[in-house]
Amino acid sequence: MKQSKDPFEAALEEQEESPPDSPVGEDELNSQAPNETQNQTDGGQNILVDDDDYDDIGSNSKNPSHPSSSLTPKLHSTSINANVAAAVTNKNKEYDDDEEEENVEVELSKFPSSADPAKMAKMQTILSQFTEDQMSRYESFRRSALQKSNMRRLLVSITGSQKISLPMTIVVCGIAKMFVGELVEKARMVMTERKESGPIRPCHIREAYRRLKFEGKVPKRSVQRLFR
Amino acid sequence: MSNPSAGTPSKAKAGSSQPSEASFKRKRGVFQKDLQHMMYGFGDDANPFPETVTLVEDIVVEYVTDLAHKAQDIGSKRGKLSVEDFLYLIRKDTPKLNRCTELLSMQEELKQARKAFEVDEEKLATLE
Repeated sequence: MKQSKDPFEAALEEQEESPPDSPVGEDELNSQAPNETQNQTDGGQNILVDDDDYDDIGSNSKNPSHPSSSLTPKLHSTSINANVAAAVTNKNKEYDDDEEEENVEVELSKFPSSADPAKMAKMQTILSQFTEDQMSRYESFRRSALQKSNMRRLLVSITGSQKISLPMTIVVCGIAKMFVGELVEKARMVMTERKESGPIRPCHIREAYRRLKFEGKVPKRSVQRLFR
Repeated sequence: MSNPSAGTPSKAKAGSSQPSEASFKRKRGVFQKDLQHMMYGFGDDANPFPETVTLVEDIVVEYVTDLAHKAQDIGSKRGKLSVEDFLYLIRKDTPKLNRCTELLSMQEELKQARKAFEVDEEKLATLE
């Protein structure tokens, strides 16, 4: 499994699926449940762990190497949401706008859907019934991400501008990851149509890419790419 | 249009790790390791073929390049490039848009939490 991934980035992805639990076996789920309630009061402490892991541009990424220990911060993240909400509403919303302003995203009233207990419960029941294979695949899905530093380098080389903000890098990484997902899923569909099995081959990816282009999910070049 | 992964010799494998400012030198296999895990997570085999991973990386880089170029075109009207331009480009793609807004709001929350934590730390320091 990937170790160098930011655990908090993984936690961010968890919010999408809205479970507070980590993609580990049931025992860990049960053992972490009491910790969650305890951490409700200890939100500040947990935030430090998550933040340091999250901000890798500041080059202080303390990524725990052990998988289970790196998963525990993820559990705390949803308990942090409640604390963050309380903390934020008490503080003044002053942003040092040294980077491009994200005032659009400031309305913290739109909390991630993980606050929805029904969805969380559903996810938990599903996750508890995963086989080992499914669990490891799910863990890869949640924890994998493109490196922000590499993406930033790529964006700088494309745009020629040095001022690539952190939110932009994060957004592009997220978009690219979802695009990879679309590609791989469509390639699998192509494989089932052709009744093939095993690892995905480049021809499947190319066919998937063609289909995506036809559906209009891939931005078309206005100018033909002449020199590769 | 999609060239085979072997057909990109112009992107020389510059062994140097110099930050590319204006030069378009790009090492092959920048995202290889991450992509392998990602593809496994999305449904591929545990050990995907290297050619497949290279091809997916090429496609992703091309996708990001096209996206960034389009965003730059939009952003040039405003003056500078911002996140809004990317969000505008994916507006039709609902899952991606939702995911991006979620990521951004989480990042804002984090920033706030970090600030709150730093303030607390200062208070503690001054107390002692």
